[in-house]
Amino acid sequence: MSLDNILNHWSDYRKGAEEGGHHDYEHRWAMAINLDLCIGCNACSTACYAENNLAVVGKEKFEKGQAMHWMRIERYWDQQELEHPEQGASFLPMMCQQCGAATCEPVCPVAATYHTPDGLNAQVYNRCIGSRYCSNNCPFRVRYFNFYSYYESSWPEPMEQQLNPDISVRDKGVMEKCTFCMQRIRTVKDKAFMEDRKVKDGEVVPACAQSCPTSAIVFGDTMDDGSMVSKLWKKHQVERGIYQKTKLAKKDADLRGYRIFEELNVDPSVMYLERVREDI
Amino acid sequence: MSGKMNRRSFLKVMGWSSAGAALTGCDMPTTITLEEGKEEVMSYLMPEEYVIPGVGVWYASTCTQCAAGCGIHGRVREGRVLKLEGNPDTAVNNGKLCMMGQAGVQGHYNPDRITTPMVRSGGSLTPVTWHKALGLLEEKLGAISGDRFAWFTGTVSGHQSVLLANHLDAMGSTNHYVHEVVNNAVSRAVNQDMLGEANPRLRLDKAKMIVSFGADFMGASQSPVQYAGQYAKFRTNKERGLLVQIESKMSLTGGSADLWLAIKPGTEAVLALGMANLLLNKIRVSDAGIPSDVRTLINNYDITKVAQITGVAGHRIQRVTQLLSERSPSLVLAGANVEGQAQGYAATATIMMLNHILGNVGKTIESAGEFPFPQLVAKQGGTADLVAFAEAAKAKNLDAVIFHGSNPVYSAPKSLGLAEAMSSIGFKVAISQFPDETTMAADLVLPVDSYLEDWGTQVPADQAEASAIHVQQPLMEKLNAETKGLGDILLTLLKQRRKDEYGQFEDYYAYLRNAFVAMPTSVKNDAKNNDEFWNAALQTGVIKVDAGAKNLQSTVVSVTAPVVDDSAGLTLMPSPRLGLFDGRHANLPWLQEAPDQISKVVWDSWVEMHPDTAAKMGIGNLDLVKVSSAQGSVTLRVVLLKGMHADAVAIPLGQGHEAHGRYAKGLGVNPLQILDATTDNKTGELAMYSTRVTVKRVGPADSLSIVRMGTGAGDSQVGRKLVGTVPVEQVRRTEGT
Repeated sequence: MSLDNILNHWSDYRKGAEEGGHHDYEHRWAMAINLDLCIGCNACSTACYAENNLAVVGKEKFEKGQAMHWMRIERYWDQQELEHPEQGASFLPMMCQQCGAATCEPVCPVAATYHTPDGLNAQVYNRCIGSRYCSNNCPFRVRYFNFYSYYESSWPEPMEQQLNPDISVRDKGVMEKCTFCMQRIRTVKDKAFMEDRKVKDGEVVPACAQSCPTSAIVFGDTMDDGSMVSKLWKKHQVERGIYQKTKLAKKDADLRGYRIFEELNVDPSVMYLERVREDI
Repeated sequence: MSGKMNRRSFLKVMGWSSAGAALTGCDMPTTITLEEGKEEVMSYLMPEEYVIPGVGVWYASTCTQCAAGCGIHGRVREGRVLKLEGNPDTAVNNGKLCMMGQAGVQGHYNPDRITTPMVRSGGSLTPVTWHKALGLLEEKLGAISGDRFAWFTGTVSGHQSVLLANHLDAMGSTNHYVHEVVNNAVSRAVNQDMLGEANPRLRLDKAKMIVSFGADFMGASQSPVQYAGQYAKFRTNKERGLLVQIESKMSLTGGSADLWLAIKPGTEAVLALGMANLLLNKIRVSDAGIPSDVRTLINNYDITKVAQITGVAGHRIQRVTQLLSERSPSLVLAGANVEGQAQGYAATATIMMLNHILGNVGKTIESAGEFPFPQLVAKQGGTADLVAFAEAAKAKNLDAVIFHGSNPVYSAPKSLGLAEAMSSIGFKVAISQFPDETTMAADLVLPVDSYLEDWGTQVPADQAEASAIHVQQPLMEKLNAETKGLGDILLTLLKQRRKDEYGQFEDYYAYLRNAFVAMPTSVKNDAKNNDEFWNAALQTGVIKVDAGAKNLQSTVVSVTAPVVDDSAGLTLMPSPRLGLFDGRHANLPWLQEAPDQISKVVWDSWVEMHPDTAAKMGIGNLDLVKVSSAQGSVTLRVVLLKGMHADAVAIPLGQGHEAHGRYAKGLGVNPLQILDATTDNKTGELAMYSTRVTVKRVGPADSLSIVRMGTGAGDSQVGRKLVGTVPVEQVRRTEGT
């Protein structure tokens, strides 16, 4: 991705595949997260630590914002004017949204973050020089930088035996983030290739979705029309690559599906379904 | 995949060490052990056909991180267990797992595990061999019999429970103290009296409306994953379920409520009586089956009076009660904050009475049937046994106690005087995985296998739709050569007493296999022979049993009028959270670093207060305060939280360890220490939610000393659509639900 290439194809690059953008996708992995089912219990987040070799940084570094929680549960209080939060809390599982037009990608000086044919926003750890431009440019604040080497502190012997050998342990100076459990996707894709067939819906399950006690997270391929996630996206009229203005005109405004910061046109791969509340 | 795997060969490849010798007794042709080095060890360059280097294989087992007994699958690769997931074959958790279950591997690989037996000499614990440790145990226990010997454990079930009971019997003792801080002991007593079953099956998924008086069923409950799964169905039913949570401190479950109401602590029973009054006298629901004295009591609680006592607005009470009568079947639940009152039994029974009035018994509360193996059923604990144990210790009635799976020195309030009384127990044995407070006070420490290395069976107390025995099997070779399984230790103890009966079993594996073989054919499905049944049980991790169908009775017990403490002051809620739980998981760094679900604090203790209460006392957010009860005080930071009643303060459980390894030690405070020793007069359970405290500011705010995740802008969405909300009417229109 040279500078010339970027400049020459800028408009193509900013377009989604649906509008004739330059991508030639094999899959477009996506999620649908039903916030009406999310109870904020942290199961997904802990499963992510277990699956993805996330470092535990400790209290002091957590305070400096250096925690590595790829999947985090944000908790908001609405109706702040009331004496008590009568609607409960608002929980939001937040992880890399795998944007189709990711703002983190064009700013990387070494192209360490790029778009894969799976529609994922990948991070090449070996290429990363730690400029942190990508993190600075991410509207969702879901990129996590290794300010230190956590190998000794996070996995004292014999804790290192738990590490998932399918993926690396990132060292100091490297940016990391949610990969939609790339290692699980790869395993399934390899298997499907060996068996000369397509990847089936539901075959790839990221650790967060697998663990979720209420099954709030649905994962799948939006290029597979029969997949659960495609159906959900369609049902809620959330479409990739369709800009905000076009979309609002088309969309039935009463449907629950939305993508966060849609107005930024970054084309996230995560659709959220609004929380339902019954006012009594 | 695991279905095709031959388990024995798998063990062989992994170089099964200590249990290997035992496997010879079970038709295993050869045993290779790394220690013996007798035969060549298989290299991964020439693996057996079913082991593919780099490919993980999932094995079934059972989680023991709490007493719920969820089935798990553990991913094993190159002989190491890497990741745990829920077992889709177990109805309790249906393939799902909570954060505590996910963190199980961190307990297994914990750097602070006890790796060798230790005996107290000259005041400190020094390592000894198993031979010496068991010799000492035999000598000490040999000199004791009868009730001067006791076991002190957490919830135990399955075949370990059978062996434990037999050991007690062999010792001639009847003292088995079962202690759980997070328990539903009072509810069990109420259910037994009102429904005829201590653990009926709750069907949240069948309810159209749930009114929960502080029951944190999706958080620190008896089976959080099961109830969260039911909750998901409750919410996605054709008619979306409505959740009303009434409590003094917002719990995890409260965070998901459609309507969250703050109630003055200790007045929940008054509200229930008020609702009963509305149902019977205004909405004219039948009062059949309600004893006349209770009927009279109900009549005394009119809405104005109830609203005034509880602090819940009258129109809210009326609306919720009206909806309850319309949306049938519903479900009314009482939580630990109700059970843990000085009149916990009466308060819980009053709330449960609403289910009777609303006709929910048999609809959303079903019978769990009759578990066909009563000896395997979980022995569930509470705090009554902790109180009784402290009394027995103080009275010098105990000469030897074996501790396992419970940490009473940490969890007993100071007012019980247990820490001091421990010294008057002649011989204290801890069968323990971690150097927790109780273990450090023991005279003999026996290192136990982690649950990922051990054999066993678990019988969940809160069974799902299909009753089952969950099988626990080692997922990998022991991490430390010197640890032993709980079953093996129990068997060794039994052999010391009843050699004739138990001598035939080389180890617990042999015992367990024998016990499985002896099971009636009704649970063996279509297994052609015993080998097939055993293999199937290990492969699926579950033995389904038919508990039959029964009908619950629905009776109302006589309750006395609630006594409301009108004196000014704050009530302390020592609230357990999914995560550190009762403190047992404070040594798991993933759970320490996972922000508290409501307050988002990490690695610390804090006290939650309503901003108005704090303002009156001149206390600001993150100020340092001293929380004092009659029993002592703790000093910690304040986190202001509107999800609190003005008369309540909450301190989460789990921190304040003086031992328990590097991650737990020295962090935060332990609110259990400052609780009064008040007990519920009916069940003897500690009234954990009745301690009055005062709060005094002792230092200024310091944002560096308490760490919270993302709490900018007052946790507001500041107009952005992050968590979107839609009214249910709109969804009914667009999605037809």
